[in-house]
Amino acid sequence: MDNPLPLRIVLAKVGLDGHDRGVKVVTRALRDAGFHVIYPGLWQSPEAVIRTVADEDADWLGISLLSGTHMTLVPRIIELLRAAGLRHVGVLVGGIIPEADVPKLLDLGVARVFGPGTPLPEIVAFLRSEGSRTHA
Amino acid sequence: MLDELLSRFYAHDRLALARVLTLISRGEQLDALRAGLLPKKEHARVVAITGNAGVGKSTLVGKLAELLRVKGKTVAVLACDPQSPLTGGAVLGDRVRMPSRPEDPGLYIRSLAATSGHQAVAEHIDLMIRALAEFGFDLILLETVGAGQGDTAVRELADIVVLLVQPESGDELQWEKAGLLEVADVVVVHKADLAGAERTQSQVKELLSLPGCRDVSVLRVSSAKGEGLDELWSAISALPTRHPVTDSDAQFLLRRAQQVLAERFRDRTGDVTPVVDRWKRQELDEVQATDALLHMLIQQSR
Repeated sequence: MDNPLPLRIVLAKVGLDGHDRGVKVVTRALRDAGFHVIYPGLWQSPEAVIRTVADEDADWLGISLLSGTHMTLVPRIIELLRAAGLRHVGVLVGGIIPEADVPKLLDLGVARVFGPGTPLPEIVAFLRSEGSRTHA
Repeated sequence: MLDELLSRFYAHDRLALARVLTLISRGEQLDALRAGLLPKKEHARVVAITGNAGVGKSTLVGKLAELLRVKGKTVAVLACDPQSPLTGGAVLGDRVRMPSRPEDPGLYIRSLAATSGHQAVAEHIDLMIRALAEFGFDLILLETVGAGQGDTAVRELADIVVLLVQPESGDELQWEKAGLLEVADVVVVHKADLAGAERTQSQVKELLSLPGCRDVSVLRVSSAKGEGLDELWSAISALPTRHPVTDSDAQFLLRRAQQVLAERFRDRTGDVTPVVDRWKRQELDEVQATDALLHMLIQQSR
């Protein structure tokens, strides 16, 4: 096996956002790159996402948002992650994020924001270079 | 570091449980974990849910978990999905069909990748089951990959094996006869809201009434309509806990020794080269070389 210790990544759709094409494409790309992707489905609450990340012992959380709710939901998720003792979990955001909001999200502690048209190998390369902050 | 993790585990820290399961799934510190997780609690009931892909295993596990929470039982789910033999990657999507109860400490769901070529469940799942039992869950629902023959191995892990078939399986059932039907304690004709469920139910009953077959209940369940779930749980609860692999069982110990030996061979390939070289130079014959390897691995322990 190329990847004896595959990173575990939760990819989540949060809130009332039904646009899941993007997250599914990324799911497949990460699987094909040898990652273990946990996909809990649409319409997750921030609390449900935290529970999934905790129980699955994920290394990374990728949040896909195309509904314009990122400045509400991402801060909430990050706050809950910290409260749950999951500070070590890296957070990525993907979807439709206006450029002006990107620095704000990074300030909150998001590791990277991947907008539309991001080449999939870029996401893969980023995760490979970062690795796990959990199981260092 | 493991001591600290285990003391957090025994202090009922859910994150410690999650990490223990990760270590087990990665095959790390298995000997120490086995020693640290010696069974102290009463045996949790392990129910395996098996059946072909698309028959509705995740959905039924989800419904069953919900029902059991209503009945006040704490439930842990181990949901296995296949892992790519080429890249090692996996999409673990069973949570999509499972209940989301973020505030409920009595439900734990863990998605696992099963290596292809192995059984229908993830590696070292016996130790994961033990960890979940030690953490205090009443019931452990084990969802297999649904890969057919290999699923018979779950019999060794579970107290009760529930086999799912769907209506209009037709000739498929004949094929099932040789393998899975033999290990099933309960057969569920799932998706019973679809046409043909009754006929499939009687076909299965007929197959199971052949001489030499055990007495197995065959039930119709519709997760979509929420019908038959209570009956399924009654059938499961009525069965005796099999304790299939008890820790006082000689078979258990032999199997464990085999497993440990296999792990040592896999993890320490570097150390075997001197023996292999002597064998290549024909200083040792095959029997001597294997003996030498076994001795070496036994010496290396701890």
